[in-house]
Amino acid sequence: MNALGIIFSDMQDWSMTELAAHRSVAAIPFGGRYRLIDFPLSNMVNSGINKIYLITSSKYRSLMEHVGSGKDWDLSRKKGGILLIPPYSSSENHGLYHGRLDALKRVLDYITSSKEKYVILSDTDMIYEINYQDVISYHDEKNSDITAVYTKTNINKSTSVHKILYEFDQEGRAVDILVYPITNGTYNVGLNTWVMNKDFLESLLYDAIARNYKDFSYNVLSARVHSLRIYGYEYTGFFAHIDSLQSYYETSMKLLNKDVLQSIFYSKTGPIYTKTKDSAPTKYCSGALVKNSLIANGCIIEGTVENSILFRDVRIGKNAVVKNSIIMQHGRIGDNAKLDSVITDTYTFVNKDRVLLGYSSCPFFIKKNSVV
Amino acid sequence: MKFAKKECVAMLLAGGQGSRLGALTAKIAKPSVPFGGKYRIIDFALSNCTNSGIDTIGVLTQYQPLILNSYIGDGKSWDLDRMHGGIQILPPYQRVGDSEWYLGTANSIYQNIDFIDQYRPEYVLILSGDHIYKMDYSLMIDYHKKMDADCTISVIDVPLKEASRFGILSSDESGRITDFEEKPKRPKSTQASMGIYVFKWNKLKKYLEIDDKNPDSSNDFGKDLIPLMLRSGEKLYAYKFEGYWKDVGTIESLWQANMDLLGENGFELSDENWIIYSRHAEKPPHYTGRDAIIKNSIVSEGAVILGTVENSVIFSGVTIEENALVKDSVIMADVVISKGCVINYSIIDEMVKIGPGLKIGKPKEEGSEITVIPRESVINNMGGLV
Repeated sequence: MNALGIIFSDMQDWSMTELAAHRSVAAIPFGGRYRLIDFPLSNMVNSGINKIYLITSSKYRSLMEHVGSGKDWDLSRKKGGILLIPPYSSSENHGLYHGRLDALKRVLDYITSSKEKYVILSDTDMIYEINYQDVISYHDEKNSDITAVYTKTNINKSTSVHKILYEFDQEGRAVDILVYPITNGTYNVGLNTWVMNKDFLESLLYDAIARNYKDFSYNVLSARVHSLRIYGYEYTGFFAHIDSLQSYYETSMKLLNKDVLQSIFYSKTGPIYTKTKDSAPTKYCSGALVKNSLIANGCIIEGTVENSILFRDVRIGKNAVVKNSIIMQHGRIGDNAKLDSVITDTYTFVNKDRVLLGYSSCPFFIKKNSVV
Repeated sequence: MKFAKKECVAMLLAGGQGSRLGALTAKIAKPSVPFGGKYRIIDFALSNCTNSGIDTIGVLTQYQPLILNSYIGDGKSWDLDRMHGGIQILPPYQRVGDSEWYLGTANSIYQNIDFIDQYRPEYVLILSGDHIYKMDYSLMIDYHKKMDADCTISVIDVPLKEASRFGILSSDESGRITDFEEKPKRPKSTQASMGIYVFKWNKLKKYLEIDDKNPDSSNDFGKDLIPLMLRSGEKLYAYKFEGYWKDVGTIESLWQANMDLLGENGFELSDENWIIYSRHAEKPPHYTGRDAIIKNSIVSEGAVILGTVENSVIFSGVTIEENALVKDSVIMADVVISKGCVINYSIIDEMVKIGPGLKIGKPKEEGSEITVIPRESVINNMGGLV
């Protein structure tokens, strides 16, 4: 497909203090064997996009390790492929990217030099499954400057502050755009995914430089909603915005629903790709009792697991009971330990006989490399 | 173009039909038979190579190679997509003069002398694609060098009553082989050849050429070439291997090797120092349902288990519906076992669909034989059962 993908790996990490403490949002482990970056990357690859710039501002070590050459997403290419672009200090620009617009300005030469007709901008904190080809067709049909992908959903005051809301006229053209409002109700919520013609994006960035615009959402989208042709493309499938520990937990638990699992991982567009780890199949020992759970490869289970997600290479000891919990990769749960509503980050070691209790509306989080 | 010199080139024999595996190898070569929840048999030899630092491998194919060829691809799953060397599939090819199928194991190497010569190796490692084991070949090559051997044969101790299935050899105290007999009726020892050989390339080449000129030879390593070298007074040494090793040439041994993966003391595949690499479809973690019971089994990604599984190996993408029971069985990739089925003591090959309420196989306790359901079968009633 004749499009360049630009993925922002950490535009929202201020809202993910626990999980993004040592990694960019894009590298947050999710769904037993994935990281959040796998979803936009796979969406793009499955849509036929094979040139992707991955914009990452800080804490990108685990992201770089995960993405590597891009070969697990079929992105290790002579033509195109994936390029990680961390901040690059020069005489004009110093320090980290100050948001989306600053990052785009600073990679302008890379955008200018690419030959694709379209550009697709995407974040990494939203889980959805889309074929960008459909969005581009709609974009052409409407002859729009910017096509914003949105979904109709219910939000409340605590979640709305991380979202961009659109109001459209009957033609689907945006007439009002609210950025990070405090509100309740059903809205057209942006998926922070935009399609533009590459030439248009370039002119937009020249303009932003000349006028010293600082913020993509306010200065480009919201303030110019009447002068630009911004159209909305409605997405109706499964959607989740991971903007807090709570929403991370809730979204993860939704994967235990067969229909959700089916719609994300077995869609017509294609599978979700991730870094290959070559873990052996999971071993259930004679004392294992597992109910309603999602279990990745490489685990050895000797205890009880219910309503939980086990990532790769997790060990559940004898008579241990893990309920309503998420155990990330390399977690070790000792014999007789009891966990309920707990999220353990990677390489957590829970000693035998420990009892850890959270609550579904407030899961107990244990940070990376902890020994309990 | 001159190729980079390689100290050792591995040649993996993957052309055999494996007729004793019956329906399982009707459409695919034995090395590509699925194993252990997510692997194919050839993964073990290839991963052993990668983990032993051997990066130049010729894979000799002849019988039903399509699945094997596409499975191997450019070798990147085993880290064998290399700038120099890497993996190459070697089917028989036409040349000036006589052109033939591979006539025997030794002949298949003889026909690829030019391939090996490109790399000007000191040593050639001969491997079979039908064994399940973890082995560091570099230690065997070290031993071969230390003994200044012309040929080193890897051996394992087998029970006397099984010895007549193998190539049996005797060696003196230094490890030098004094006698070798292929499948002897009266075995003189319990040291069995594992079909893994290290040769000095110049010696192997010499004897391959002699063997090729002998019209009475069956051009086989065990039957012809090794005895010939022994008779000619060359230095053949036995390298003792200790550890798990299983020839999965029969239905029973394939089933048993799968079962050996179960339990706390089984053959361990979760070994971060010796990863078994494989190529597999992208699947999410497996899902275990509210009423599922899984005991003493291994389950791979993409499976959906809603019924009961005991003492079994469940491959990726398998669906086991509500109230189905799977016991003492090997269920290969993408099989669907519908509601209420009872599967006992069976090997169900890839992509089979079994309709609701059917019974496949007889309980193992009754001493029956293993039931095998061939690839892509669709079984909707007992009459449809082959």
